[in-house]
Amino acid sequence: MTVKALQLVTVLVALALWELAARLNWVDPLFVPAPSAVAPALVQIGGGALAGLADTLGKTALAYVLSVVLGVAAGIAVGSVRLLRDVLSPYVIALYGIPKILVLPWIVLLLGYGTTPAVFYGTLHGFFPIMVLVMGAVRDVDRTLVTVARSLGASTWQLYYKVLLPAIVPSVLAGMRLGIVFCLLGVLVVEMFAGLRGMGHLLSSFANGFQAPELFAATALVSAASIVIVLALDHLNEKLSSWRG
Amino acid sequence: MKVLGLRLALLVLLVAAWEIAGRTMNPLLGVPPSAVLPALRDLLLLRSYPDLPASLALTVREIATAYALAVAAGLGCGFMLGMHRLVGRVWGPMLAALYAVPAVVWYPSLMLFFGLDAASKIAFGFLLGFFPVALAVLAGIRQVNPQLVVVARAYGAGTVTVFRRVMLPAMMFTLVGGLRTGLALCVIGVIVGEILGSKAGIGALINHAYGLLRTGDYVALVLVTLILVVGSDVLASTVERRARRWTE
Repeated sequence: MTVKALQLVTVLVALALWELAARLNWVDPLFVPAPSAVAPALVQIGGGALAGLADTLGKTALAYVLSVVLGVAAGIAVGSVRLLRDVLSPYVIALYGIPKILVLPWIVLLLGYGTTPAVFYGTLHGFFPIMVLVMGAVRDVDRTLVTVARSLGASTWQLYYKVLLPAIVPSVLAGMRLGIVFCLLGVLVVEMFAGLRGMGHLLSSFANGFQAPELFAATALVSAASIVIVLALDHLNEKLSSWRG
Repeated sequence: MKVLGLRLALLVLLVAAWEIAGRTMNPLLGVPPSAVLPALRDLLLLRSYPDLPASLALTVREIATAYALAVAAGLGCGFMLGMHRLVGRVWGPMLAALYAVPAVVWYPSLMLFFGLDAASKIAFGFLLGFFPVALAVLAGIRQVNPQLVVVARAYGAGTVTVFRRVMLPAMMFTLVGGLRTGLALCVIGVIVGEILGSKAGIGALINHAYGLLRTGDYVALVLVTLILVVGSDVLASTVERRARRWTE
């Protein structure tokens, strides 16, 4: 309880200091507008910003579904076949590690502006962390469980379905929690770099137009949306893990 | 041995596929490896981009500044939150919540505030590098066995001794991992910043090549940037191994 109250106090004090700094001209209000100027801007950009947010979140959802499905499938396939894992894992780690922004210009040349490059790039961002986590989890499944299941006559299908899948559920959930932020990041970057719609495009056009209050309002909107999404996933995660026991 | 051979075979196969695909594609879009090599030679001989060394130096300077700031602030903030129970419980979750926001949403504001020059890239690299360092300090402090601290104190160890002899060795593993992630993210932050909008630095060159559809030069520039990225990580992992050996 005190923790919650103190967190609220922190936010309020920060807002008050920010307002004060802008009012007393410690910072140039042209670049850092006071909260009292951002709030009306939020109302003013309301409809357009919500449409942009919906557009961004739609692309993110598509990219997210793709990266979870592909990432989990690839993680299980590569993780459970020893030879595949040994040969591919350095490539996977390297692809996971390199900054994907370097291939973004080429993706845009290839796929053009708009939704397709955003979904593709978002998927690229979300896929690797999920795959790497699932791959590791499949590798670390207790060998004894596999041996026992085999010796009790489990078929390959049963082995995957009854032993492997339940064992990797926590890692899949962790990957899903990590993946959503990566997908959203990827989509926003494409929208900033080569977007026609969406929050990323809106943010960079506000910045280019020196519309600081609108820019701050839009930034706050996206941040709030992503915090809500992540907290909701965390909540779901806790529910599921208490259900699993 | 067999695995190594298969890895190599896969690499050769990929390069061959790239070569075939690159030749059949529109030359403005597809650049086969046989076309990348001349472009890379021109780039390294400073024929296509004579300001490559200056741009690389600027990017490295931006990364170094951003990383130094991120480490200083991350360590300071992490220890402040980790040493005081209440402060940690109040601000820790807020820090984690901010970390959940894709950092790129802050970049337009940073660009507006700091301008198109190096400062906005440093600020963005700092922002990306700060969180893993701070969160690693927090996680590291949680790993220290409190009984060890009590025992050390009971034997008359001062705060500095407790920190140096008990806490630091226990935290080292997590802390160094966070410092390495922080560096990788600083590098990415600076490069992302430069590509999204800049007048100088390696990212500006990449954007220039892309904008003029000089795809061969673009691929060569990307390869040079990759050397920078991989080099920084090799450096970080060397330091990481040293630090871990010191702990043992």
